[in-house]
Amino acid sequence: MNVFAIGIGGTGAKCTEALVHLHAAGLITDQDGKNVRLGTFLVEPDQQSTLLARTEIAIDRYSKVRDLIGNATEGFAASEIDHYGTWSPLAGATPGISLDQVFSKPVLRNEAPGLAALFDCLYPPEEQKAELDVGFRGRPPIGSAVMSRISLDKAAESGAWKRLLSDIQTASGSGDPPIIHLFGSVFGGTGASGVPTLGGMLKSWLQQQGLSKVRVHASLLLPYFDFDGQGDQGTGVHAEARNFQLNTDAALQYLANNGKACFDQVYLVGSDIKARYDFSIGGRSQDNDAHIIELLATLGVRHGCGTPGARDYAYILSRSKEDQISWADLPDNSVIGEGLARAARFAVSWRRNYSLEVDAAQNTPVKTFASGAPWIRKYFSMTEESTARSEGRPSIRAQDQLALKQAIDGYSATLIQWLRQFSSNTGLGFNQELFSEDQLNNEETYANQLHSVVRGSAKPTLAEHDDTVDRIKVLMDELPESKIKFRGVAGLTDSLWKLCIQAKNS
Amino acid sequence: MKPKQFIPLVGCVIAGILWIFIGQNFVLLNALGGLIGGGGLPLLQFLESASSPSFQALWFTCVAVTLIWLFTTTKKSPMNSAEVREMQPAWWVCAVVLVLLGWAYQLFFTVLKWRISGTAPVEGIEANYFQVQPGGWITLLVLVVLDVGLLFWLPTMLASPKSYRLVVPGAMKFIGGR
Repeated sequence: MNVFAIGIGGTGAKCTEALVHLHAAGLITDQDGKNVRLGTFLVEPDQQSTLLARTEIAIDRYSKVRDLIGNATEGFAASEIDHYGTWSPLAGATPGISLDQVFSKPVLRNEAPGLAALFDCLYPPEEQKAELDVGFRGRPPIGSAVMSRISLDKAAESGAWKRLLSDIQTASGSGDPPIIHLFGSVFGGTGASGVPTLGGMLKSWLQQQGLSKVRVHASLLLPYFDFDGQGDQGTGVHAEARNFQLNTDAALQYLANNGKACFDQVYLVGSDIKARYDFSIGGRSQDNDAHIIELLATLGVRHGCGTPGARDYAYILSRSKEDQISWADLPDNSVIGEGLARAARFAVSWRRNYSLEVDAAQNTPVKTFASGAPWIRKYFSMTEESTARSEGRPSIRAQDQLALKQAIDGYSATLIQWLRQFSSNTGLGFNQELFSEDQLNNEETYANQLHSVVRGSAKPTLAEHDDTVDRIKVLMDELPESKIKFRGVAGLTDSLWKLCIQAKNS
Repeated sequence: MKPKQFIPLVGCVIAGILWIFIGQNFVLLNALGGLIGGGGLPLLQFLESASSPSFQALWFTCVAVTLIWLFTTTKKSPMNSAEVREMQPAWWVCAVVLVLLGWAYQLFFTVLKWRISGTAPVEGIEANYFQVQPGGWITLLVLVVLDVGLLFWLPTMLASPKSYRLVVPGAMKFIGGR
């Protein structure tokens, strides 16, 4: 099954970031439990956005692991991903373009004075003059005006859109029709204007193409953060937290009237307890940490894939404790809990132990190293030569193995950063019982204890002193040959992926 | 400790008791008596007053050191290969100290104990120590090494927990990856 995820605006990008991590953890599956093929596409006028960059890094790092690992694993990084790129609705425009330039106001004034007057009526001068390369400044009307100029037929002729729409067409020919899932906030600028606009356009395009089986879903984020501080006169038109509710009301009214023309299924997620982010007009300074709400929004994709025949229109989630979120509050929590716990424990074990061990093995005779790390004999050749393979086992010093190790390092660091961010960024007076942020750090020092990485019901039932990376190494060394299908770094990570959540010794 | 470590450990302890307290004396008396008891050494008296106490002292020491080793390795959880390998010299120190102590016990119970007290171990003989032949000394010293093997090397090889189990020499060859 194919899922095409389109993240629109900063929040949409953050949801796509969460989706990549869920997908990497093997949690985006179809109704038969098979991993889907994920296509990602980002829509963001603010090309300097840190949120966009962070998502692109996550996609790029996971893609790199996938490219290098191929089919050499069963569990770890087994889900395919394809990134179609990032597209700006202002692509090709001059830097610092403003709304009056987008609509060529002088020309409009000469050729259609009535329309120019309407334009003046709808947009005050400061909105007309605001530079849009930092995004739509929290103003949905600006975004709607720009977004509505997009023609999908024209876009389908070249670039990222062409490849995306072509792949949607191809995928819809298979027995399992694809899902297009859009992400964005309804309270900011780009997402609020872009998600319904693009949703409607895609629905129309699909109808034109006769692809009625393709479903368009959307995760729409209601307000879940506030700004600490606000812009001043120098920042010009900017997003203001006091407008979030107003924007949301308008978006929900629009959806109530026109939603079915835009989406087949909608997931609305928000929070009454708000995270606090530093004010930013956009660009590099907009560095908001990941949030649990984005994870919940992303789980809409899992729900949509797992229940393709669902006819309900909206789904509702709530939490059982006012000041806390725990695994029990997540939909399908036993599977999600185990999957995310596995991913977190894998990332910590790899980044803060196994990877450092592979580094240490570069400067130690292999047999000497193996006397303290017997597990390496299962995956790597015991000869000193850097190119030698024996019984299908590559050398721990082979360049291809080191390149894969580096790629997994990169992805693990990104995953740890994301887990840490959403574990610590809960908002005032609100806490989470999912992960312990203290253990989720990217220090390049050895860690052995895994007991406190995961909290709550997803934590493996092991005694604290026994829940260590060393225990996993022993389990690994005790694996019968029949259970080790792959060798080298790929085989090592695959075994680690399987064993890192195992509660009992084999 | 897992059953697959605990059971061999118990087996080693039982084998050690049977060997030190029964089997070894039987072998010394019946198979190696000629090597040790030549030159008029009263073998039964030697076994009772010198050999048995010295090997029993070695047994107690080996059991104590083995338990300390197992306790230490069970309590510690190594973070990496280097930390595991750091225990290799520690194991060798234990083994060498046990062999040296075993030899010292032999020397003490055969010679020093009697010389210090100034008494003769055998009535009617003037020498105030057991007059063991050179071949007998070599036999006793070799037996000490074998006993340390049985009482320290074997149980630590079979019962060392976690990543420490392959620290013991020969573990890789004899038990490999479990």
